[in-house]
Amino acid sequence: MRAGASYTDSVEVNHQIVVRRGHWTIQPRRTGLPPTGVTLTVGFNAMSVVIQIEGLRKTFRTLRGGARVALDGFDMTVEAGQVHGFLGPNGSGKTTTLRALLGLVHADDGRMAVLGRQSPAELPAVAGRVGAIVESPQFFGNFTGRRTLRLLATAGGVPHDRVEEVLDQVGLRDRGDERVKGYSLGMKQRLAVASALLKQPELLILDEPANGLDPAGIREMRDLMRDLAAAGVTVLVSSHILAEIQLICDHVTIISRGRRVVSGPVSEVVSGFDKGEYRVRVAGHERAAEVIRGAGLPVTVHDDHFVVGDLADPAWVSETLGGQGMWVRELTPLTPDLESVFLQLTGTVPEPGAHKQVDDAVRPGAEQDLSVTVVEGDAK
Amino acid sequence: MSLVRAELSRLLARRFTQLMLVLLVGAFVVTIGTTVASSHVPTAAEWERAEFQVVQEESRQEQMQQLCESGQGTTDFCQTLSERKPRLEDYLFGVFVFEREIRDLVYFMVAFLALFSFLVAASFVGAELNSGGMTNLLLWRPQRLTVLGTKLGTLLASVLAVAVVATVGYIASFWVIAQVNGLPGDVDAEFWGDLAMVVVRGLLLGLGAATLGFCLATLGRHTAAAMGVVAGYAIVWEVGARIVMEVVETGRPETFMLSTYLGAWMDGRVTFYDGPCVGSFAECSYSLTWAHGLIVLTALVAVVAVGAFASFRQRDLA
Repeated sequence: MRAGASYTDSVEVNHQIVVRRGHWTIQPRRTGLPPTGVTLTVGFNAMSVVIQIEGLRKTFRTLRGGARVALDGFDMTVEAGQVHGFLGPNGSGKTTTLRALLGLVHADDGRMAVLGRQSPAELPAVAGRVGAIVESPQFFGNFTGRRTLRLLATAGGVPHDRVEEVLDQVGLRDRGDERVKGYSLGMKQRLAVASALLKQPELLILDEPANGLDPAGIREMRDLMRDLAAAGVTVLVSSHILAEIQLICDHVTIISRGRRVVSGPVSEVVSGFDKGEYRVRVAGHERAAEVIRGAGLPVTVHDDHFVVGDLADPAWVSETLGGQGMWVRELTPLTPDLESVFLQLTGTVPEPGAHKQVDDAVRPGAEQDLSVTVVEGDAK
Repeated sequence: MSLVRAELSRLLARRFTQLMLVLLVGAFVVTIGTTVASSHVPTAAEWERAEFQVVQEESRQEQMQQLCESGQGTTDFCQTLSERKPRLEDYLFGVFVFEREIRDLVYFMVAFLALFSFLVAASFVGAELNSGGMTNLLLWRPQRLTVLGTKLGTLLASVLAVAVVATVGYIASFWVIAQVNGLPGDVDAEFWGDLAMVVVRGLLLGLGAATLGFCLATLGRHTAAAMGVVAGYAIVWEVGARIVMEVVETGRPETFMLSTYLGAWMDGRVTFYDGPCVGSFAECSYSLTWAHGLIVLTALVAVVAVGAFASFRQRDLA
């Protein structure tokens, strides 16, 4: 069944849903019970969910008995055709999630499915349709880029013509005969992307694809992902470059300390934290702030301006202050961007004089203030 | 099949494999060259002198035999005397005699092939695990045991092919030297049968060494892990523990050493003095045969291999 295909039918309700340990199963009702006489129209979009992760748990243990919880009941859903950003602070569990999804790390608990198949048990059935790079690109240094790709193509039964296509696609056509150990980090990253594209995947999983890339490379990577998405490829991309994620992704999942913080369309995630704040510059800004505050709006006064919140119509500020003989020189909406949302949600907003530790990130589930404070200068 | 082709390409493309092949050929060429340089066709004078010395030796042995028959010699001495008859080749010095020397030369070849197999195997998987190449491959073929098994199978087939070609070439070279610049010696069907058995044991030893190197590197995730284990074993156990056992007078310390079983496997039988004991050597000795060697070495390789595959199946990959 192709991605996006769906199925609906009407059935009599003669089954029951049984929930055990957080997982549900449908079982026939006990015999002897009278028919319910109820019918349900059920439907599913079998392949619209490309990646499904439920309750994923992973604890890394050391020989000395130490334990570090990397994933603590993490959930994520990626649907077909999405360019899905996967964000989280360092050590939050992004790479562990991707490794578990790809069968490289054994999860302690939880369920994962890729392209409709359980992972890792049924991963071999869909591996040919999934291209992936996980964390830093890893290749054998003494082989050339071209030989590296040819060996992978041979192992995967991909025609060697495809090697030349992807080398050209990632800009390594003329450097393909050099040894990988002579490549820069960015070139290795391009080679890694080439290896992921070799299979012409339906699903592309990219862990930090912009690592080590120069500005032109980052832009090419962005264009590449857009092109792939336009061609119907589902892309799951983790990155620390949040501006890039905001530019290329339509959906986002944010993880912190092994748990999902938020997930949804990027625009909704960001707008959900828009408090309608505006920066106002005006001569005599302290007196102007008093006027606005007098109207019942929240105002924060800074050295040379003030910020007003809950503002439905910005023109009202101009009119009100103009009526008092104060002429507004700047009236800028402080729309939160993905970076400020991310920092707020994960509790990693830098504080002057404080050295935040990687484990200082927010643990979702604990009481937390999810309101976003837009950092001055980050406004768009 | 595609995975086998990919693994074979990967193995042959590795510089370490190529370097080891060059060293293997180099070692054989040096051995063959040295033999050629140090051998010659015996002259008529050398033949005459050898024949004279054989006659002298036969006469001396006859006298000794009479002493033995009269009950004046030790059992060991008399038995040895009856087993070793003087031959012309024993008195032709500087002449390569195939029948007399090929066995030791094959032992050298087997030792080199075992070392070659161990290092190439350990490096083949160790470098892949260390560089992340294995992770990359598993993204394409997420079947751990299949991938590791194919890698090992391809490696063993390649090692066997190299070993067979090298062995045939090596022995054939010395046969030609013997024909052209030395003597073949007394080569009958029994000799060829014995030599074939040594070669077969040597080839199996090479495969065992390859499996051991591969699996130790898999367990340790690094080529150096395999070499470290072997070096550590040799120093700590074969040398250190042997000294301790001798100091505390442990009975039959050789039975605790892998080198003993290696020797038994290759030689067919090794015999050790089982002291303190009063009596002839035969009464005060014990032997280990190739069968003992086969059991111990197979068990060792099997345990390490099962451990490596089980560990690789379960472990988290970086």
